[in-house]
Amino acid sequence: MATQTHVTRRTFLAGALAIGGVAALAGCVTGGSGGGSSSGSGAITLQSSLSDPAPKAALTKLVGEYKGGKVTLNTVAIEQFRAQLSTYLSSNNPPDVLTWYAGSVARDYASKGYLLDISDLWEGDGAAAHYSKALKTLSTDDKGRQIFMPTNYYWWGVFYFKDAFQKWGVKVPTTWDDFIALCDKLKSMGVNPLANGIGSTAWMASGWFDILDLRVNGAQFHRELLAGKHSFDSAEVKKVMKYYAQLVPYFDPDMTSFAWQDAVTPLVQGKDAMYLTGAFISQNITSNADNLDFFSVPVIDKSIPTAEEAPTDGYFASSKTKNKAATKKFLSYLASSKSQQEFIEASKSSNLPTSPDVDTSKFSPLVQKGLKMLNDTKEITQFFNRDSSDALQTTADTALTKFLANPGDVDQILKDWQAAAQKVWNS
Amino acid sequence: MTASTLAPAEARQHSPRRHKRAWGFHLVMAPVSLLWIAPMVFVVFVAFRSFDDITSNGLGSLPHSFAFDGFVTVFSDGLAGGALLNSVIVTVFTVVFSLLLASWAAFALSRYEIPFRRGILLLMLAGNLLPPQILLIPVARITESLGISDTLFALIVVQVAFGLGFYTFVLHGFMRSIPAEIFEAARVDGAGEIRVYLRLVIPLTRPSLAALAALATTWIWNDLIWALTVLRTETKFPITAELLNIQGGFVSQWNVVAAGAIVAAIPTAVVFFIFQKQFVSGLTLGSSK
Amino acid sequence: MTATVGASNRARTAQRGVRSRRGSVRRVPPVIWAFLAIPLATELALVFWPAINSFYISLTKWNGAGAPEFIGFKNFQNLTTDPVFLQALVNNVFWVVGFGGASVVIGLLLAVALNRPRRGVGLYRSAIYLPMVFSLAVTGLFWRLLYQPNGAVNTVLGGIGLGAWERQWLADPATALVAVLVAAVWRQCGYIMVLYLAGLKGVDPTLEEAAAVDGANKWQRFWQIVMPQLRGVNAVVFAVTVIDSLRTFDIVWAMTRGGPYNSTQLLSTYMYQTSFTTVNLGYGSAIAVVIFLLAIVFIIGYLVRASRTED
Repeated sequence: MATQTHVTRRTFLAGALAIGGVAALAGCVTGGSGGGSSSGSGAITLQSSLSDPAPKAALTKLVGEYKGGKVTLNTVAIEQFRAQLSTYLSSNNPPDVLTWYAGSVARDYASKGYLLDISDLWEGDGAAAHYSKALKTLSTDDKGRQIFMPTNYYWWGVFYFKDAFQKWGVKVPTTWDDFIALCDKLKSMGVNPLANGIGSTAWMASGWFDILDLRVNGAQFHRELLAGKHSFDSAEVKKVMKYYAQLVPYFDPDMTSFAWQDAVTPLVQGKDAMYLTGAFISQNITSNADNLDFFSVPVIDKSIPTAEEAPTDGYFASSKTKNKAATKKFLSYLASSKSQQEFIEASKSSNLPTSPDVDTSKFSPLVQKGLKMLNDTKEITQFFNRDSSDALQTTADTALTKFLANPGDVDQILKDWQAAAQKVWNS
Repeated sequence: MTASTLAPAEARQHSPRRHKRAWGFHLVMAPVSLLWIAPMVFVVFVAFRSFDDITSNGLGSLPHSFAFDGFVTVFSDGLAGGALLNSVIVTVFTVVFSLLLASWAAFALSRYEIPFRRGILLLMLAGNLLPPQILLIPVARITESLGISDTLFALIVVQVAFGLGFYTFVLHGFMRSIPAEIFEAARVDGAGEIRVYLRLVIPLTRPSLAALAALATTWIWNDLIWALTVLRTETKFPITAELLNIQGGFVSQWNVVAAGAIVAAIPTAVVFFIFQKQFVSGLTLGSSK
Repeated sequence: MTATVGASNRARTAQRGVRSRRGSVRRVPPVIWAFLAIPLATELALVFWPAINSFYISLTKWNGAGAPEFIGFKNFQNLTTDPVFLQALVNNVFWVVGFGGASVVIGLLLAVALNRPRRGVGLYRSAIYLPMVFSLAVTGLFWRLLYQPNGAVNTVLGGIGLGAWERQWLADPATALVAVLVAAVWRQCGYIMVLYLAGLKGVDPTLEEAAAVDGANKWQRFWQIVMPQLRGVNAVVFAVTVIDSLRTFDIVWAMTRGGPYNSTQLLSTYMYQTSFTTVNLGYGSAIAVVIFLLAIVFIIGYLVRASRTED
């Protein structure tokens, strides 16, 4: 009996504690509560979305070689990283440094005060002081502060294998009509002219949309369109879709089931001929890499200034970091020309360094060619979602995959797209 | 229960008709079972093929190679940081505490005239019905303000809380089916609440606790969404979250993805086969004496 | 034995006056309050409190940053004209009926077929349950492999001369939802079968024998003798099925992410997409509230009926 009362009292106490816990929770869900204890250890956390094997290994190596303090690297697959990003940043104890890309999302978080102002790294003898003006603009928020540290970028182009083109006896097209004629010829030879992977990576369908809009209407119009200043069912966009519709018969019929990575296989095997994608494709080319080449999508309207897509990747830091100095020091390390070079080499990508101090002369001819194309082009855009938002990307995915399946319904699809986009802009 | 249940007359003699029926049974069930395991066999095939074989012969073809590349990659690149151990820790603690707390609640609700007990039971079950996605952001903020975010402890607490409603509901059903007389007898002997719970309720519900434990083990082991909500350090990730990283990292390398999926599935399969008996017998408590 | 206990029980009841008709105790001791309070408080703190917050969030416009802006029922109003939401709702109705119906029918059939111990039954049962040990995400992954353009399904169809049936199963909006459904049912059947096998074990064989002697055929015996005895299991099966089908998420997400162009969009995937991809937490929460209301209607309806038949 005595034991029983004892247990009773103890269990009761536990119950009271649990209930007390509930009360203590009140008001800490939608509002931020006081910050946690600050640790002065100098240890910082890098939250990374680079879960592809080679880039992950490259970043791990880079972090391992850092001598300036303890850095913990956490890798989370991109899908989840994106889902959790707002939770990470608004938490009381956020990761200090995060991988991200330049563009509207970063600017949006900056306007909420979540991102660390790293303007001092962009001036004097800061790590990014000598970066190009375009990069600085790209990394600047609405208040004129720099909140992003770009470390590499890459280009989009139509990739193909030189030896395959030789075998088929075809040449790189220089005009749009050439390009269509080439597609025709390849198709008649039993080769799928165009590879793509719009299954689990439906955003790949925006690659062609972006580049065709750049060719038909130009970068200025493209940016305004994505900012909501033009309508997706406007005459201009309809014109873009006319060109896009010309390509529909030439795509690999399996593209709807493929992710972008899957689409590389038929390209390597010579079942598909050309693939409009980012330079990240070279990570996935394990054999015959020397024959990989690319060309820019041919000009359609000569009066439109040339433009290419060149998404920029890098890092930003949380404004709530407990170790501002250590965080900036680590960002500077990541941005240094040595780190950039090491990262690009180890990650096996064809990415380009943002630092002008990196000696690119030893980079592969493919990369040199990419660099030259970007240097020669008049305008640079990022990519659909980076120039707008992930929300608008979702509307594009729906509209464009539907269009690729039913190009005849284009008018209705554009109308629905505009309605969906309007919702995003209104929210 | 034997075959005599449905055909008492036939059971006594080995009639030709019975043989024919046995044949018919196997004729139907063997293909059905094969159809059921075919997808798994296919995945095992893929896991043991080399990447080159898959790309050159196609995913659907029969294996032209036998390679451990997929598993090697999973263990060398994918499962850094003891993901399997993390899964074991989280699963064991979550299952034990879930069943402990659920058995308390079920005992209280099934045997005592607590006001609105049916309402409370319903409310608890309703909690389990909530789409977990809706709780993600608030739960992330709460664990954080309690200072336990990014710990396995938080993951355990959150999963215990979320599963309680269903376990309580099931155990409540079983406990109600225990004849009241047994409790009366215990009370006549002067047993207190704790003793009744420990000496009567737990032993009598043990089969159903074992069954729920087997079920809960597969559920908790397979959880992904809570792990991703509460944790952000890769070394603390359970196998499912690590598998997601593998999927994200080796998208078109189906042999690696298949190998990862098999590694994640084997522990639950083992637990399942050990508990198979409890699974079936435990759930009978509700409908037999 | 029963009679004796019953008698002494009545004696004690008279003494204490605490026992109700159905054998539960009227006076609740403190330790029992604690037994209830601890689990309940845990659930309140980590499920209901977040849920209440989400209900509140559903009345706001919020992107996770800054303070939520209260906008009343506007999110719900917008839902009624949102074509994607309406499609997800229709898909979800199809899903509940298809997933619930197919897995219960097949699970029950398999349970009846594999109920009697005979040679090979153990093996067959194991084959059917095995899929339930895989997580939904893993299951989705398995079937994505199967449904690939050059995957096993198309290869087999081609091999048996049904080449015309080959499809881009997950990429064709006409087949995608059914293709995902097949994968989900494949995994669920074993679970339902386990539950029914357990129930069938508890069926009183003497009743059936008596009915057989009375000349009832197998069909009649099953519906009139066996089925009523499975009531307890039916309750569990029903609850599990509704819970599972309304929050189905991982498998769809792993296989199609709701595409192609929303043809496999369910309420839960649309909710996830709006909450996390487009970070429109208020709108996403509103969808979650709808899911919750749908679930609660099913469950309350069933529990009310179950408790009525019990009394």
